[in-house]
Formats: sequence, structure tokens, C-alpha cells
Amino acid sequence: MARYGMMIDTRKCVGCYACRVSCQMQNELPVEESFIKFYEKETGIFPNVKNEIIPVQCQHCEDAPCVSVCPTKATYTTAEGIVLVDSEKCIGCKYCMVACDYGARTQNHETGVVEKCRFCSELVAEGKQPACVTTCISNARIFGDLDDPNSEVSRAIVRLNAQPLRPDLGKAKIYYVR
Amino acid sequence: MVWGTIIAAYLFLAGLSAGAFLTSSYSARRYPNSADVRIVGRLISPILMGIGLLLLILDAEAGLKNPLRFLYLFTNFKSVMTIGTYFISFFMMAAAYIALMELLKKEINKVIEYVGIVFAVATAIYTGFLIGVIGAVPLWNTAILPILFVVSALSTGIAGTMLGAALVDKKVIHQVLSIKKIHLTLLVTEVFLLFTMFLVTSSTNESAAQSVSKLLTGEYSAFFWVGLVIIGLLVPIIIEGLELFSYKKLSNSRAGQEVAAGGTSGITSTLLTESAVLAGGFILRYLLLAAAVPIIFL
Repeated sequence: MARYGMMIDTRKCVGCYACRVSCQMQNELPVEESFIKFYEKETGIFPNVKNEIIPVQCQHCEDAPCVSVCPTKATYTTAEGIVLVDSEKCIGCKYCMVACDYGARTQNHETGVVEKCRFCSELVAEGKQPACVTTCISNARIFGDLDDPNSEVSRAIVRLNAQPLRPDLGKAKIYYVR
Repeated sequence: MVWGTIIAAYLFLAGLSAGAFLTSSYSARRYPNSADVRIVGRLISPILMGIGLLLLILDAEAGLKNPLRFLYLFTNFKSVMTIGTYFISFFMMAAAYIALMELLKKEINKVIEYVGIVFAVATAIYTGFLIGVIGAVPLWNTAILPILFVVSALSTGIAGTMLGAALVDKKVIHQVLSIKKIHLTLLVTEVFLLFTMFLVTSSTNESAAQSVSKLLTGEYSAFFWVGLVIIGLLVPIIIEGLELFSYKKLSNSRAGQEVAAGGTSGITSTLLTESAVLAGGFILRYLLLAAAVPIIFL
């Protein structure tokens, strides 16, 4: 059984938002709703400064707080490690939104259901890649099986020493090169 | 703000309802002759909890559109919200039964009342656990917050009950001196807990410090100092303290004892104090939700 994860190389990200748009199209989201948020972080002291663009979406944590707080079990983790929301069970209490360490969840204003990145599980089931990965213009994103040491994503994580955003917060499955 | 005014009102009403239930149970034992306090507490308790639950349902949009989904609330035992749903269900059933028996003037089943007392305490503390377990918000994620919520729940519960009782019968509020003493103790404790929480929490990490400074000096500071500290805590502490002090003086003379026992002094100060405590109880919860700053993950 695969354990899906992703690596994002922020050094390659130009902040074009193509991943966000393709995600919105894949998930048929309204324009004001998106599963990928863009953050900028300035580091260093002038003149040695750096501006990072960091796309953030659901990190598919292995010990996801959203899964444990969800009172209706609408949020669950699949056998392949993808955190999903059963829209038929969600009551829209927003407890998961409060509990998410990454602010990765949004509420659909039509249905009231809370949604988020699903690693395009229907595409992945067909052996395809998530929409954000295939769309990325600079190949900043790599998706694959973290349990397979020979997968492209596993090897890239090792080679580039990619780390979760906050390794101390939990077992996130999106690794970042900063 | 993911959770806003509606959830603040729900947390406030749940605490108030539990506190009113406990106040009435206490009064029924300590002051069997001052029936009004007991009756008011027992009647407002399920009504306020009911209003709180309606607000909660309104806020849960997806459930509002598909009400049967609320049944799933009983399924995830890892979630504090599921545990709370059980607590509130048992509490609500006991409180509604007792209110009904009170209305019908029938004998109340003692076991059900004890069950009610246990789940009233559980409900009050649950409102604190609900947000206390959220690691993503350091302002909430403290062990002292549930204690603060329980103290505030009891204090608003007493305030709500006394306010109702004073409107029904002017005399009764002068006969339940120990409730007033407990109330004063709770208010002073609340000040202490609030101070401790802010002092310690502000040193936890950057997000927590930001939350605390939002309240003390930032965008919510006027609301915090005027609404919570002055109106919600200091004014009631001063008035209640002076009242208890004058009771003490009154009971030193024979004539004074009669005045006190007759309950001829006005209810203005009671109405003022209790309304201020209720306002403070809501403001406390609103501010804690509003000042939530999530942890920094970048």
C-alpha cells in the first residue's frame, strides 16, 4: 500500500498561481474558494535578503488533528494516507478549521461543508498525478509514494533534504525545499 | 475568525445554563424556604441551554441543511465535541425533566437531579476543553482555560439566577447570603485566573504573545479593559463586596437584623451587578475567540 506525499521546491516556485487555478478547476470550486494558499516570507538582513513564496495546502498529516477533532467522522484518512472529507457527513461545525495547524481548510458557502486539498484522489486512483503537480510550470512539485525509497519524490526529498513546514507539529506529508 | 459571535454566545449560554442549574440545586438544599431562587434557576437552565444549542445548529451550516447529519455527532469518541454532545444531551434531559416537574409542582427524582449536577459540571468544563485542546491556537491551549470557564460558568449561572429571582421577588435576594459570598469569591478567582493565564501564556510563544497583546493593548483592548475587567469583574466585585460589608454591619444591630431579614433594601444594586456579570461572561468568551492567533508554520 502506498503512502502518498509531496515535495514542493519553493526555490523553483515563481508564484504564478497556476496550481491554484488548476486545483480550482479540478475540484470545481467557486472563484473565491481555493485549496492552495500562497504565503511570502522575507528572511535575512539587507543586503543579503531572500523572499520565499510558499504554497500551502492540506499537509495530509499522519496524526491529523482535523481527523481526531471531527465529531462526525466526516474527516478520515484513507489506507493510502490521504486525508479526505465525506461531504455527506460534514455538519460544518468548523472544529477542523480551528484545529488545523496550517489553516488549510475552507468552508464551501453553498453547502456549508468544510473542504480542502484531496491530493486529487480520483486522479491518483487512476494512476495519474494531482492537478497541481501536472500544471506546475517549473516542476516545483513532485508527488508519489513516500514508502517507496526509489520513487521520484522519496529520492528528491533525500537529495534536497526537504523538510515538513514544522516537523515539530506532527507528521505532515508535504516536504518543502526552502 | 473561524468561530465568531455565535459560538461565543453558545459557550456563554452553555456555561450560564450549567451554572444556573448548580445554583438552583445548591439553593434548594441550603435555602428550602427561598423557593424563588430554586425555581428560577431550574426554569432558565434548560431554556438557555436550548437557545445555545439552536445557535450551534445555526452556525453549523451543512448540518442545518441536512439535520439528520447531527446524529453523526455521537460517533467520534476521540473528539471533545462528541464527548460534549453526550454531556449536553444528558444534562439537557435532566434539566428539562426537573424544570417540567417544577412547573407541575411534582416531586423531583433525586437520582435524576444528581445526574443533572454531574453533567452540569461536565458541560461547564467541556466548553473549556472544546477550545482548550486546540494546539493550533496557543491562547486557548492552556490548562488554566477550562478552569477559568468553569469559574465563569458558575459566576454567570449565579448572576442569571439571582437576576431572575430579584425580578420575581425583591426580598429573596437578601435571604441567600451564602450565594452572594460564593459569587464574590468566584469573581475574585476569575480575576486571578485571567491574570495568571495571560502572564504565563504570553511567554509561551509568539502567537500567544500576539493574542495577549491584542487583548491588553491592541485592537480589543477597549473591549477587554472596559467590558470585561471594569464592567464584568471590578464593578460587580466592588458592589457585591460593599453589599456584603453592609450586611455585616446591619446584622450587628437589632434593627439592622430586621431590615436585613425583611429585605427592604432595594434590588437596584443586584440588577446592576448581575447584568454586569452576565455581560462580562459573554465578553470573556467573545474576546478569547476573537483574539485567537494561530501558530506560525512558515
